[in-house]
Amino acid sequence: MRSCSFVGSRLAVHHVRRSLRWFIYLLASLVGVVAFVYPFFPRIEADAGPVVQAMDSPLFLGLLGGLSLLALLLETQDGVEASGVSGETKRIALLGVLVGLNAVLSFVETAIPGPGGFSPIFFLIILGGYVYGGRFGYLLGALTLFVSALITGGVGPWLPYRMLIAGWIGLAAPLMARINRALRVQGTRWELVVLAVYGGVWGLAFGALMNLWFWPFATGPAEQHWQIGISVWEGVQRFLAFYVATSLLWDLARVAGTAAMMLLFGAPTLRTLRRFARRFYFEVRQCASSLSQGELSA
Amino acid sequence: MHPLAWLVWLGASAVATLAMRNPLYLLLLFAVIYVVTDVIRGAESGRGGATTASTDAVTEPMMLPVSPIRFALFAMGVGALINGLISHFGETELLRLPEVIPLLGGPITAEAVVYGAINGMVLATLFATFAVLNVAVPTRDLIGYLPRAFYPVAVVSAIAITFVPNTLYQLRQVREAQAIRGHRMRGLRDWLPLFLPVLIGGLERALQLAEAMTARGFAAKGAAAPAAHTADIARFASIGGLAAVLVGGVLRLVPGAGRWSPVLVVGGTLLVAWAIWRSGRQVNITRYRRARWTMGDGVMVVGALLALVPLFLWPATRDYSPYPRLLWPSFDTRVGLALLGFLAPALVLHLARPPAQGERQ
Repeated sequence: MRSCSFVGSRLAVHHVRRSLRWFIYLLASLVGVVAFVYPFFPRIEADAGPVVQAMDSPLFLGLLGGLSLLALLLETQDGVEASGVSGETKRIALLGVLVGLNAVLSFVETAIPGPGGFSPIFFLIILGGYVYGGRFGYLLGALTLFVSALITGGVGPWLPYRMLIAGWIGLAAPLMARINRALRVQGTRWELVVLAVYGGVWGLAFGALMNLWFWPFATGPAEQHWQIGISVWEGVQRFLAFYVATSLLWDLARVAGTAAMMLLFGAPTLRTLRRFARRFYFEVRQCASSLSQGELSA
Repeated sequence: MHPLAWLVWLGASAVATLAMRNPLYLLLLFAVIYVVTDVIRGAESGRGGATTASTDAVTEPMMLPVSPIRFALFAMGVGALINGLISHFGETELLRLPEVIPLLGGPITAEAVVYGAINGMVLATLFATFAVLNVAVPTRDLIGYLPRAFYPVAVVSAIAITFVPNTLYQLRQVREAQAIRGHRMRGLRDWLPLFLPVLIGGLERALQLAEAMTARGFAAKGAAAPAAHTADIARFASIGGLAAVLVGGVLRLVPGAGRWSPVLVVGGTLLVAWAIWRSGRQVNITRYRRARWTMGDGVMVVGALLALVPLFLWPATRDYSPYPRLLWPSFDTRVGLALLGFLAPALVLHLARPPAQGERQ
């Protein structure tokens, strides 16, 4: 119970560390976003040196995406590490089993293709992040795609991007808990509706972002490209037209599937995960209560 | 062969693929990679016998869900279609769509179609390269060579992969049990009686696993427990590195400031890499049964790296653009011969038949 002795200055350190974490999440996510939207922005100096020109290649975008993924992994796994000895082991075991279960779901999806882009994996990623926290959600999302790529032979250049997006889905899921608290719908039907909307939005965003990853390949490198000098807005318009024409219907199946799973299976799954949260986080709960007392006295 | 040698080969091949746009080189590289895949498969099945009997998903390399050639045809077709329809540049007009259709209306040119097909070839070659990795390196080795700093990630992945066959087995059991009770699959709703018991069973087993791991001293911190502030140093390094990369990436888009962006990006990347290395130093683990680095691995790495050199020494033929008028791409023999260096693993595997199997058991 070493971690239970947070008092006074320790508490201040704890707060500083927390804000550092948030800062890393924010910066790393921004780098990831830049990796996705970079192809839209026009290069101003087309005749710059070879090193600068190399920054237009998919290799550079891969570097950005990879950095974002790794920095987030490094930071989120630390959350699994830091919480007392027995808590850490429990969380690792819990995470491992849930990732395995979710990988089986995606395996089933590969074996029996559902309608369109439907994928059952987002359901558990969202609920995992919602109940067990953002760090847990990030790892659950990213590692589910990692493991399912390993077991289905799907390791490829797209994998870091898929891991990053799935991780974001889990990382941002606890924000829905805040929204639910603000709306005062916790424990009611509407809680699941909020989560279903969240899942639907991400279902669409996942498809759009993966299309965005493919976009530089579909259009080729900027320096040889027909659209050199085209404005950002024109580029976005072209992309949207391409997206609506080729992928929107496909992705809508994912949106509908994730939302339907949430509404149909959400309540019992949420109950189960919460019940196990009490069994898993027994020690941590005590820490949390002593921490909040410390906060009150500080 | 050593997993790290494969990773070097993979990296070199991916760099070559992304650096060139000449369809002749791409075709050559694709053929080379395909030969390598084929030789690996031959070696795997030749070793056969003892290993095929085991159903251990962790140590066995995976078979591919999609053949690289089929993927190449698909990617080139889609690429040609997309670019042909969207881009209306080039001089050789094939046909003309009515202008009233937004975006798609206008001339369809042979140049745009070829350009799109080349885009597809780049993607297909990349896909084939990674297919080699999927076939050649067993899953356990891929996890084992994650950087030390990502030890928790490696443990979680190993647990997850071990639990996959287990979960499939449990799913089948639950389905049988529910079928006896008259459960039938009629709609989406009927998945719940299957999903929930599997979830609960999995969580129960996670608790048992955690107890077993604790009993064996997992995550027990001895006297040498790292101080918390070392993690904070790594944290500051990541923040600095990420900020530098971000600023560098944005500066590339600002007129006059582009010169500084590579410095910032490289510096930031190194800083993040240092943070990862630094966090990894706190992890004390011992790895057993490491693969041995052999002569063949050396040959493979040297071959892959040498293959890259002419591509950057004589870059004149590396890029090819069909615009404005379709011309036959030029072929530099030196570059073409060098690309054959990627054949090194096939050569090594071929010469080493009957292979040294002992080390993987």
